[in-house]
Amino acid sequence: MKTLKKRSWAEPYKMKMVELLKMTTKQQRIKAIKEAGYNTFLLKSEDVYIDLLTDSGTNSMSDRQWSAFMTGDEAYAGSKSYYLLENAIQKYYGYKYVVPTHQGRAAENILSQILIKKGDIIPGNMYFTTTRLHQELAGGKFEDVIIDEAHDPLNEHPFKGNIDINKLDKLVKKHGAKKIPYVCLATNVNLAGGQPVSMANLKELRAYTKKHGIRIIHDMTRVAENAYFIQQREKGYDKKSIKDIVKEICSHTDGATMSAKKDALVNIGGFLAINDWDVFEEARNLVVVYEGLHTYGGLAGRDMEAIAVGIAESLDDNHQHARVGQVEYLGHKMMEYNIPIVKPIGGHGIFVDAKAFLPHLTQDQFPAQVLAAELYIDSGVRTMERGIVSAGRKANGENYYPKLELVRFTIPRRVYTQAHMDVIAESAAAVYEKRKTIKGLKMVYEPKYLRFFQAKFEKL
Amino acid sequence: MRTLTEPFKIKMVEPLKVTTEDFRKEALKAAGYNTFLLRSSDVFIDFLTDSGTGAMSDKQWAGMMMGDESYAGAKSWEHLERVVKELTGMPYILPTHQGRAAERILYGILGGKNKVFISNTHFDTTRANIEFTGASAIDIIYDEAKDPEIDLPFKGNINLEKLNELIIHHGKENVAAVIITVTNNSSGGQPVSMANVKELRKICNTYNIPLVIDGCRVAENAYFIKHREEGYINKSCEEIAKEMLRLGDAFIMSAKKDGMVNMGGLLTVKDEALSVKCKNLLIISEGFTTYGGLSGRDMEALAIGLTEVFDEDYLHYRIRSTAYLGEKLRNKGIPVVWPIGGHAVYIDAKQLYKNIPINQYPGQALVCDLYIKGGIRAVEVGSLMFGKYDDKGELIPATNELVRLAIPRRVYTQSHIDYVLDIFDDILKLKNQTQGYKITYEPPFLRHFTARLDKL
Repeated sequence: MKTLKKRSWAEPYKMKMVELLKMTTKQQRIKAIKEAGYNTFLLKSEDVYIDLLTDSGTNSMSDRQWSAFMTGDEAYAGSKSYYLLENAIQKYYGYKYVVPTHQGRAAENILSQILIKKGDIIPGNMYFTTTRLHQELAGGKFEDVIIDEAHDPLNEHPFKGNIDINKLDKLVKKHGAKKIPYVCLATNVNLAGGQPVSMANLKELRAYTKKHGIRIIHDMTRVAENAYFIQQREKGYDKKSIKDIVKEICSHTDGATMSAKKDALVNIGGFLAINDWDVFEEARNLVVVYEGLHTYGGLAGRDMEAIAVGIAESLDDNHQHARVGQVEYLGHKMMEYNIPIVKPIGGHGIFVDAKAFLPHLTQDQFPAQVLAAELYIDSGVRTMERGIVSAGRKANGENYYPKLELVRFTIPRRVYTQAHMDVIAESAAAVYEKRKTIKGLKMVYEPKYLRFFQAKFEKL
Repeated sequence: MRTLTEPFKIKMVEPLKVTTEDFRKEALKAAGYNTFLLRSSDVFIDFLTDSGTGAMSDKQWAGMMMGDESYAGAKSWEHLERVVKELTGMPYILPTHQGRAAERILYGILGGKNKVFISNTHFDTTRANIEFTGASAIDIIYDEAKDPEIDLPFKGNINLEKLNELIIHHGKENVAAVIITVTNNSSGGQPVSMANVKELRKICNTYNIPLVIDGCRVAENAYFIKHREEGYINKSCEEIAKEMLRLGDAFIMSAKKDGMVNMGGLLTVKDEALSVKCKNLLIISEGFTTYGGLSGRDMEALAIGLTEVFDEDYLHYRIRSTAYLGEKLRNKGIPVVWPIGGHAVYIDAKQLYKNIPINQYPGQALVCDLYIKGGIRAVEVGSLMFGKYDDKGELIPATNELVRLAIPRRVYTQSHIDYVLDIFDDILKLKNQTQGYKITYEPPFLRHFTARLDKL
């Protein structure tokens, strides 16, 4: 893989507004993380220097988005901002019908309730926390059909997000196509490390599902980042624009849920898009119960405006080049320090392999959780555990033991500079130096659902 | 009477399109004679709702710029939490993207099959959320409050005698909660007295039933208490609201009303065990506990809005400007629900359009005329919204055929209101010529949002 030179990813923007940060001492940070039960989710954001907890809703908007923000139409019904959003989704993604929602998980909730019946099977390329939960709450069962390479952090497969059609075929043969309402296809698979799906794989999936009459629902929150990898890595796509590739991806699917807080460069928002009128009509009725009238779906008019502008900006080739270039820059720095990271480097963050980082800890001692805490203590960098704590428990109460035990360094879009990236890599290196002295954790509080958000720990 | 002084000036404007009557006739036809389906850019004066349509202050906009968009533990969340704790006196504060999400979470936990919720009046989405859990929702206001003409200070009060009877009838263990909505939106924005809520608290204590205050207009209600209830004239509206909220076990708010913002909601509870259950559900469908589906800037704007709304001059302006429209309409001979409530003027369309039978939707006829004559968008609160069909497919009408003119906060000037009054002169000239409407398409539930109609 070619290494990126620094100058090749110079950002196609400059800073127009800044947000001041508080600098803390190590003593303050030790106290803060202890109070937060060694869970970075429970830290106060003002005690954080560089916030890599998530790339969701933490983006910086452009001056154009801010101006659109000012022209948002806050009418309850028929807001012009809704029509702008609908138009952007139809134009850039090609889906026919649009229902806005306050964020992505709300779209998942509505879609799951409409399409999933009790006992259904929903195959997908790796689970995501909220997605799987909504499928389960609707009575369905998630089955992972991602290629095996995705579970190996060192495997350098260029499209580790791909679906293994054989795994899918086994499910169809076992349960029958009627029990499978749709395949949940995520582009740039988050928990695999921001790994893309190839167009060839998607075409194969389309042909297969067509034959069996199964829908493909596209979890498209990072579709533009996926398109960038297709452009860089897949034969026949190097001359195509990200805009065209994104539209092609969407054309092979039947509908989508989107958290606009990622690719679409906003701080809040999401939507459900679908080509099937009947599903749309049901969604339009359900959205009133959960979210708001179908022409605002729980979003302010100005937020719909900002998404419409953000979608167009996200499909700019230069933007994605700088976006992924920055992530790769950080990844290469870490590799120079010999820090074990998931390869190839993904689109929205660096995923550090905590099992390899802290081989003396068992998975029950929460190696990723403790590593995230140590990084915070070292430099005020906030990262997130994506391992055994995030995976949660099965319906029978047993812990899931995911193969991947990762710490996610997620990079917000257009927020941090190259100097920030250097600070992060140096901090990871400092913790790596003292890795053998790091002890594990025990969980002292565990909530019922999505425990990673609120769980509390103590040092062993 | 002297002109009402507005305690603000205009700092930002939004240009409006001025349309012709012919243009509006076409637009309304294309929208299937349903104002919900009109494009907002074709509307001149938008009285569809006061929810999320208010103008924010420069301080709120400045707060928007300071919004902290961190996913967890944002400063904006801490600001909002502090303000809401002080207002409600409750220890557990949950942000939601809007009010109905807070309702769904709380009533989803308290409700369930065979449970009963009792309220002064359940709002349409509240009722939908409750019935969705398998529970039923019972409205109990005093009989005289149902008469649109009668002049009483607190027509939003819950019927305490009826409540006692209902609790005994259903068994206290089956009553999931009592919900007191202040002001009572569905009965004309009428206020609830402090005495009524205090008595309600006693009853809830006796039977150990949780008391939920739905307070999306709690500041407007406090203004009415101050000026109509004995012993409150020297208290501030904020003190009154705080006193009332401390009587509840839980508080639900669509912040799009008295929160003075375009998006946001709140759920607060006293009980820790309940708060843990609520937080679990919040994370599933709304967002993490420190943002609940709102951006940081929205929480910042809400924290500031909840302070601004209690400004005595603002509340005086707010209540009196609504009354200005209502009283002038009444003087013209337009039948309005009396006394005028806090956030809207309700017109009795059955009285105004006597020639149109109920099954031809006189309220909707008035809504259509208002749009055609003046580009004014109102909403029917009558048999189109609440009507049902019997076994033979005949319409079971709603109690009243009202048209609501909801006034957005700090948006329209007195000259806009005077313009609306002039349009009503045209309406009065039309009143025996207007025809009714029939429904040509309707969805299975909440039909008023997307139904299509045609002229008869």
